[in-house]
Amino acid sequence: MSDTDTVAVEVDQYWPEDADEDEGIVSTWFVTEGAAVDDGDLLCEIQVEKVDADVLAPTAGTLAEILVDEDGEFARGDVLARIEPA
Amino acid sequence: MAQTQEGVVERELTMSRAMVEAIADEMREDEEVFYMGEDVADYGGIFDSTAGLREEFGYDRIMDVPISETAYLGAAVGAAQAGMRPIAELMFVDFFGVAMDQIYNQMAKNTYMSGGNVNVPMVLTAAVGGYYNDAAQHSQTLYGTFAHLPGMKVVVPSTAYDAKGLMHNAIRDDDPVVYMFHKRLMGIGWMPAPDGPKTPVPETDYTIPFGSADVKREGADVTIVTLGLHVHRALEAAESLAEDGVDAEVIDLRTLVPLDDETILESVAKTGRLVVVDEDYRSFGVTGEIVARVAESSLADLEAVERVAAADVPIPYARSLENEMLPATEDIASAVRETQ
Repeated sequence: MSDTDTVAVEVDQYWPEDADEDEGIVSTWFVTEGAAVDDGDLLCEIQVEKVDADVLAPTAGTLAEILVDEDGEFARGDVLARIEPA
Repeated sequence: MAQTQEGVVERELTMSRAMVEAIADEMREDEEVFYMGEDVADYGGIFDSTAGLREEFGYDRIMDVPISETAYLGAAVGAAQAGMRPIAELMFVDFFGVAMDQIYNQMAKNTYMSGGNVNVPMVLTAAVGGYYNDAAQHSQTLYGTFAHLPGMKVVVPSTAYDAKGLMHNAIRDDDPVVYMFHKRLMGIGWMPAPDGPKTPVPETDYTIPFGSADVKREGADVTIVTLGLHVHRALEAAESLAEDGVDAEVIDLRTLVPLDDETILESVAKTGRLVVVDEDYRSFGVTGEIVARVAESSLADLEAVERVAAADVPIPYARSLENEMLPATEDIASAVRETQ
């Protein structure tokens, strides 16, 4: 799949403010690959240092690929998923 | 909104988010609906039961209360009788003891004892369940305790879809409803749920009627009747039983009061074999009640009966002992094999 066509769902903007940790996990995915999403739709919930945050869709389109599964770990700067814009 | 053109719901929610969505919706529709409990405002509920609600509705309508169950549940009864629609939360169902007079003598009986002059349109929510080493006073389900006493409806959702529909119905009901949500099904980060409870949930509001059990899996060889967390354990057991050629029907009660006898009796008429699974204590509870009702109405249909429930002991703190006395998936499968 060509990365230049898809929009990245980046984790950094949702990183909890006071968190010192540079790692987190994805606790729950609310949509599956192939699902249609609107701009701002809830995609998944992440947890950094026991603080939860909601990750929203940056654009409308189709959730093309989930890069970090439930219970999967990520670090600052990582991409959680990619969306193919509508 | 995440939907295909055919209207299939693509968005899944955890059970806690489904409950919150129903509450938020009802609160927007009716100013009289409000939520009170311990750590429900900024904390959002220790099991996420009110996550995000304080941000939308403020401290007046998402109200933190002191650690005084008898006071705030009593206040909820009073508010309900005065025309409000409170949702009051017991942080752990195990805490009902200090407030039981307010629950079973006031909330449950004031309508009756006033000759119908007042009604109590209140929802009493409570977190139930164990399996995470919280010991005897923080792990109980107590389904039987609440179901036994007259004057209150009792609902126990097992999936996000059911949780939202039952919550809408509970808030709209003009009589008291005890809404018991299992901690392990909520889908919170520090206590992950099994796969089952996270389901597609429509964004529109919808209700699920009380007294309507749901056949979560059809089968011909045995009827497994259960509720809450054990719906998912029964479905797991059914998968492994299928490999051995045993086809299990799993009935999710969803409501204890009123109880859907019909669905259970129809199923037993088909399979002849009944296994009742309950996380609450074995004696004088849900399992005995279901078996008694089937025996009363359909004794001729019954060829075998098994009960799977918690042993009649306080829930231990030691993990090995807790696992021993609470029902496991394998216990359900063994009980089914006993009936075949």
